[in-house]
Amino acid sequence: MSIAQISVFSESKPGHLSRVLAHFEEAGVSVRGYSLGDTGEYGIVRFIVDKPETALDALKQAGFACTMSQVICLRLADVPGELARVVGILADCGINIIYSYSMISTYIVISVSDLQAAEELLASKPVDLVAPDELASLR
Amino acid sequence: METIDITRKGAALEAAAQGRFDSLPIYDRSVECAPREAIEALQLRKLQEQVAYTYRHVPYYRRLMDESGVSPDDVRTLADVRKLPFTDKAVLRDTFPFGLFAVPMEEVIELHSSSGTTGKPIVVGYTRDDMDVWSDCIARLVQMAGVVPGDRAQMAFGYGMFTGGFGLHYGLQKLGCAMIPAGSGNTERHIQMIEDYGTTVLIATPSYAMHICEVGERMGFDWEASTLRVGLFGGEPCPPGLKAEIERRMHIVCTDNYGLTEVMGPGVSGECLAERYQQHIAEDHFLWEVVDPETGEPVEPGGYGELVLTPLDKQAIPVLRYRTHDLTRVHTEPCACGRTTARMEKVRSRCDDMLIIRGTNVFPSQIEDVLTGIDEVTPLYHVVVETVDGMDALTVEAELRPEHFSDSLADMEAIRRKIAEKLRGTLLVGVGVRLVEPGGIERTMGKAKHVDDRRAK
Repeated sequence: MSIAQISVFSESKPGHLSRVLAHFEEAGVSVRGYSLGDTGEYGIVRFIVDKPETALDALKQAGFACTMSQVICLRLADVPGELARVVGILADCGINIIYSYSMISTYIVISVSDLQAAEELLASKPVDLVAPDELASLR
Repeated sequence: METIDITRKGAALEAAAQGRFDSLPIYDRSVECAPREAIEALQLRKLQEQVAYTYRHVPYYRRLMDESGVSPDDVRTLADVRKLPFTDKAVLRDTFPFGLFAVPMEEVIELHSSSGTTGKPIVVGYTRDDMDVWSDCIARLVQMAGVVPGDRAQMAFGYGMFTGGFGLHYGLQKLGCAMIPAGSGNTERHIQMIEDYGTTVLIATPSYAMHICEVGERMGFDWEASTLRVGLFGGEPCPPGLKAEIERRMHIVCTDNYGLTEVMGPGVSGECLAERYQQHIAEDHFLWEVVDPETGEPVEPGGYGELVLTPLDKQAIPVLRYRTHDLTRVHTEPCACGRTTARMEKVRSRCDDMLIIRGTNVFPSQIEDVLTGIDEVTPLYHVVVETVDGMDALTVEAELRPEHFSDSLADMEAIRRKIAEKLRGTLLVGVGVRLVEPGGIERTMGKAKHVDDRRAK
């Protein structure tokens, strides 16, 4: 099980993120999590939203360089060692984490080198995978 | 052989590809297809009259000629033009506003001023005859692109004081086109007007035409099915890659022309469909020279140098030997399109465009050529030159195409590195590259400013 992520090419200059968000708001898209790295003059802003298709269409219409990709979303127990345990499951099987960011405190997002292998692996382990239709109700 | 109906969308380019230039219109064959000897004889007669007129009516030139001991009678051959003084833009600034005018203001029917420069503007005037000549020049160049009487021409230049707007407007009307004076800005409205009015010709800067194209695509407008057939570009140099891309995406034929406010405005020369990198000079109205920009001496025939222009029948401001600062060379053999007028290669660089980066000469047109060859970015660009730690640092901003964006920073970095390596290979100096988002390079409705030199002068 994986969820959709919207990635947007972003120049590091004031107002860029807010323009993206304005288009989301207009399209009635709710942002559930995002990642904005410190990569210098340009970078990639990544969003988890409740309506990824709508979000992608809105950005494309507005001329943004953007794309949709699949990532893993996990719900962690709020106890020490939990993050290490989950990351360890992937590491033990040689699956590399390209980037990862946390969503709503204990919800984290991971982009992996082998999505299918990671999905299968995690489905068989005691971790809490988040399904796309759960996103709106996450608290 | 059947003539090809070039008013059909795409037919003008098809005719050109088949060498069927008989199907394309020529506005004034008596001049545009005249034997070279006849053109030169006409030029000499007009030059002699123009120099005499200028000497009589403009104290500035009379004084210069008197000081160097030259009289109008000394012009006996076309080569004698070299005896006359050069004119630089500074003179037009120094004599602002009307110091070089040769006629009383009552005879001036229109004023224009130069666009895009900083500091004091220059102003030029036109008599009724000047406007007629100007319109004629425009009619010629729009016919080179296949514009015919009855076309509906939509103006996307700003009107105002910029010569591009009204210059094209009057010329297209003289040819018999219906003008749609939309002016610059409001891109959605432009597209709506193309649809509502069945516009066949669009006049715009190439970068704004690209913007109209992109906005139309996003609105779902079908350029292939639209009535639009011809793009007439001006106001800024048109990168060949950009023109080809607009032709492909909007399904139109695009040409650009050359001119400058100081000698008239657009229409000094125009592109035919046979030699797309050259422009036919209106030689009955302009005498051209190509000189070494350092010494002012003529270069060998066909050699590269600075274009110098003398308008041959301008009444309101009869400028002599205007230094354009534009680098080009001129071909005089007959053209496949049927015209015999000389062709200047399109101006890709100006003498004052050249950047010296850590001792190496760099022309912005070289950057344009490199970017045109890279699929992942558009041919639009912007250059910033700064001093960093006492060294010249040149950064090229290149615009990513949306379809080449991926979620991977490594892929983006690979594109950036590829551009930097190709630029270094061509420019022979290391440069920085900054990727900017689609639409991140400004589309201008006037003159595009490609270079921002922030170094202390």
